[in-house]
Amino acid sequence: MIKLQNIEKYYAAKGLKSYILRHVSTTINQGEFVSIMGPSGAGKSTLLNILGMLEEPTYGTYEFMGEDVTSLNERKRIELYRNHIGFVFQAYHLIDEMTVAENIEAPLLYKKIGSAERRSRVADMLDRFNIVGKKDLFPNQLSGGQQQLVGIARALAAQPSIILADEPTGNLQSAQALQIMDLFKKLNEEENITVIQVTHSEVNAGYGSRILHLLDGVIKEDVNLSESLKP
Amino acid sequence: MFKLNLTIALRNLWKNKVSSFINVIGLAIGLAACLMLLIYVFYEWNFDKQSKNADSIYTALTNVRDNSGKIMVTFEGTTTAFAPALKEEIPEVKYISRLNYGSDRNLIANGQNSFKKLAKFADPDFLKMYDYQFIYGDPGTAMSDPNSIILTEGTAQTLFGSKDVLNKTIRFRDQFDLKITGVIKDPPANSSNQFDYLIPWSFYQTIDADAKDINWTNYSINALVSLNPGANVDVVNTKIAALLKKHDNQKYPAQFLYPLSKMHLYGKFEEGKSVGGAIEKIWLFMGLAIGILLIACINFMNMATAKSEKRAKEVGIKKTIGATRSSLILQFLTESLVLTIFSVLMAIALVELCLPAFNNLLGTDMHLPYLQGYILLWIVGIVLFTGFVAGSYPAFYLSSFNPVETLRRKTGKAKFLNIGFRQILIVGQFCFTIMLIIATLVIYKQIQYVKNRPLGIDANALVEMPQDGALKTRFNELRERLLKSGAVTSMYYSYSGLAHHDNNFSGMRWPGMKEENTVLFNKVFTTVDFIKTTGLKLTDGRDFSEKYASDSAAVLISKSAVKTMGLTDPVGKVLQVFSDKVTVIGVFEDYVWDSPYKANNPMIVNLNKKYPNVITMRLNAQRGLQENVETIERITKQLNPAYPVEVSFISSVYGDMFKQEKILGVLSNIFGALAVFISCLGLFGLVAYSAEQRTKEFGVRKVLGASVYSLMQLLSLSFIKMIAFAILIAVPLAYYGMGIWLQKFEFHTSISWWIITVAALGTLLIAFLTVSYQAYKTATSNPVDALKYE
Repeated sequence: MIKLQNIEKYYAAKGLKSYILRHVSTTINQGEFVSIMGPSGAGKSTLLNILGMLEEPTYGTYEFMGEDVTSLNERKRIELYRNHIGFVFQAYHLIDEMTVAENIEAPLLYKKIGSAERRSRVADMLDRFNIVGKKDLFPNQLSGGQQQLVGIARALAAQPSIILADEPTGNLQSAQALQIMDLFKKLNEEENITVIQVTHSEVNAGYGSRILHLLDGVIKEDVNLSESLKP
Repeated sequence: MFKLNLTIALRNLWKNKVSSFINVIGLAIGLAACLMLLIYVFYEWNFDKQSKNADSIYTALTNVRDNSGKIMVTFEGTTTAFAPALKEEIPEVKYISRLNYGSDRNLIANGQNSFKKLAKFADPDFLKMYDYQFIYGDPGTAMSDPNSIILTEGTAQTLFGSKDVLNKTIRFRDQFDLKITGVIKDPPANSSNQFDYLIPWSFYQTIDADAKDINWTNYSINALVSLNPGANVDVVNTKIAALLKKHDNQKYPAQFLYPLSKMHLYGKFEEGKSVGGAIEKIWLFMGLAIGILLIACINFMNMATAKSEKRAKEVGIKKTIGATRSSLILQFLTESLVLTIFSVLMAIALVELCLPAFNNLLGTDMHLPYLQGYILLWIVGIVLFTGFVAGSYPAFYLSSFNPVETLRRKTGKAKFLNIGFRQILIVGQFCFTIMLIIATLVIYKQIQYVKNRPLGIDANALVEMPQDGALKTRFNELRERLLKSGAVTSMYYSYSGLAHHDNNFSGMRWPGMKEENTVLFNKVFTTVDFIKTTGLKLTDGRDFSEKYASDSAAVLISKSAVKTMGLTDPVGKVLQVFSDKVTVIGVFEDYVWDSPYKANNPMIVNLNKKYPNVITMRLNAQRGLQENVETIERITKQLNPAYPVEVSFISSVYGDMFKQEKILGVLSNIFGALAVFISCLGLFGLVAYSAEQRTKEFGVRKVLGASVYSLMQLLSLSFIKMIAFAILIAVPLAYYGMGIWLQKFEFHTSISWWIITVAALGTLLIAFLTVSYQAYKTATSNPVDALKYE
């Protein structure tokens, strides 16, 4: 599904190149649950951004579903966002002016889905995440965990094939964090949605099937959990 | 999608009450100014265009040339022989009507109920050119009998208290009985042919010697011509030139046809060519209104982009969930449109509120015609335009944000370029504002300057009244009784009032004259005691007197006339006015009579009792004004019972001369004040926002020991600098522009340094107060409150 070849990212400052990513090559298949780990400044978020086409690599090629997307124009990129990619952010990034239901509905509007279908999908999501009672509240009236649930519900509403999550539990208490991770695992296993998350937590990474360890922009280790755990 | 955009737009408006309020108020004022302009432009634009055939209606103009053939003056009017000759000999002429000159107020009466009302004398064709709506009567025959009269609805109502007055009799000028043959709807106010009643030309010819005498020399009537459809006016004008040559042997054709519908907007002529007219007023007003609207739009843009950091996050999120740039642009435009719609509703209310005062100021009769399709169309157009202008910059700017950058940093700093653009907008706003303030002050100073110019007459306790009806023949009796009553110390009658603007001629000859005279002189016909009554300053010779029988061939001349003729010892010299020989008996200082803004033509004053038109009286200063006027009214009414008495003070007659400039002054006052208000509103919003954004920074600074003063400085200085910069740009522009405006006047004031200082310091002060209020509030707030948020 995702194929990175020799991805590099650097910023040139006063003639000196400061590298964020170096020689990153990897392949991620449909249905994998990948955690990207590493210390601060290792380039985790940049890698996720490149995977989400929010940033362009300085060098290297990126194939998404068999298509070279290394430098894609905005229109096509947005087309991919609409149909294949769901983002979940550490800071939830809900739209403050919209209610819970409207936040979940928004991607469907951009996807130009009919109103009956939209209503049923939103209702479905609210139901699934147990937030029916909160549908008319605004984000600032919810707790962090609840906001993140809405964020995930929004990402799932458009029925993406991949979810990119940047420290999804970073701002949450541990109980809430576990709930979110359970959810990801369930989605991955039951609906075969590819999940790629950036995380600091070993516990969170344990939910996945594979861990990419990043250090100073280089993949130091690529651990396949399903294999290592099942000897 | 649209529905969601709409609800979000409304929520946003509600959430940011201060900035919404600033935007809505500002835009509402701007839109109100624009709507007002729209109504005004429609009003002026439709001048003389109401009738179906307005395009084919022309009026006759006359060029006056000097001996070298140069056109000196062009005026609307022609000779009495012109219209009949045209009708006879030019096949393209479909209808033609002679009309009397402008405003002739005559007495009409229904029994004891008598009023002086505006008369129009016209040929029957007149009714075919204007499609007046007949309430009663038949337009085909209404003017066929000479002794008939057509009333407007309003006149019928005042005279009879009813509109159904067909075949009743009206007494005209207290002499003639005319039969009412029609009642028509009041003609529109934006028509150049205004009247309260219409009388056939055939009747006019029986009572007016000038109208009766058909000749090519007396330019005392108007002619309205309607050409056949498809006729080319240029072709017709060449035919007219041939006709004039044939009948009047004119070397240059003096008369030509000019579209009536263009007369109002483009009726000012210089050297025979149209050089504008009311259109100038339209341009001026348009500039002001659009300027105000732009200032309001700038407020909107500034507030919107200032908030860009807040909105940037939203843009980023939306892009990652699949929003295209165009859908975001659409969303932002929807927001600005919603705001504009709120504003336009408020603007319509404002217009309704202000229109009466505005009509009063401009002397118009305008209203908001809701039911007419075009005005709704225009309002929708303005809303779309404003919404787009105000919303486009924020929309394009905000929607271009890159999601990563906006999402990654929590509160990014605005880009340098962005601040630069905002600064340019603020500087532009204040430039316009300062220029308006300077313009207001200069106009005010110019009016004061001209007002304070000595008139040359003693206008205090000087009154005039029209010499109507019996007063024409019973003047001596009136004079005797008024003098005896002690209300009046001296009086005379004349052809024209003291402040007049007609009767210029060039047929003047004097001893020692070298070549043919090209200077226009002004001629006044008057009776004895002219100098004594008016208080003119006699520098040489004496006033007209009854003691000298020879005074019937005597003239008084103005000092500028002496100068023009180059006479060294004028008294006793014999001049020639056309064919009449007259002797100079006195010289007087020039006084202001036509326009107070320029030096008027040299004047000669003739003793001539044949033109009783206006009575001028010097009131007795020993008695109360009110008492004097009452005595005059009582005695005049006794002598001339048929007519109402209309005594007017010369000083107020002169006051009316400043009407145009006063309008200009009031307009620039209003618009200047609005511009200051809206600009400061915007400034207030920006400072409030900037303060809100920097709350944390201020908190940190305070904790570190910054003083209130230094914090205020931090917040205010950049804004004050922008205003100072605006002053630097606006002052030379205004100085130049107003300099050109002042050049229009022969007598004009200068733009003194205090005007510039007042405008600059005033703007700075207002801006400073606006900014520092907010700055003080922020600087004195508790740092803990600011630092608590994170």
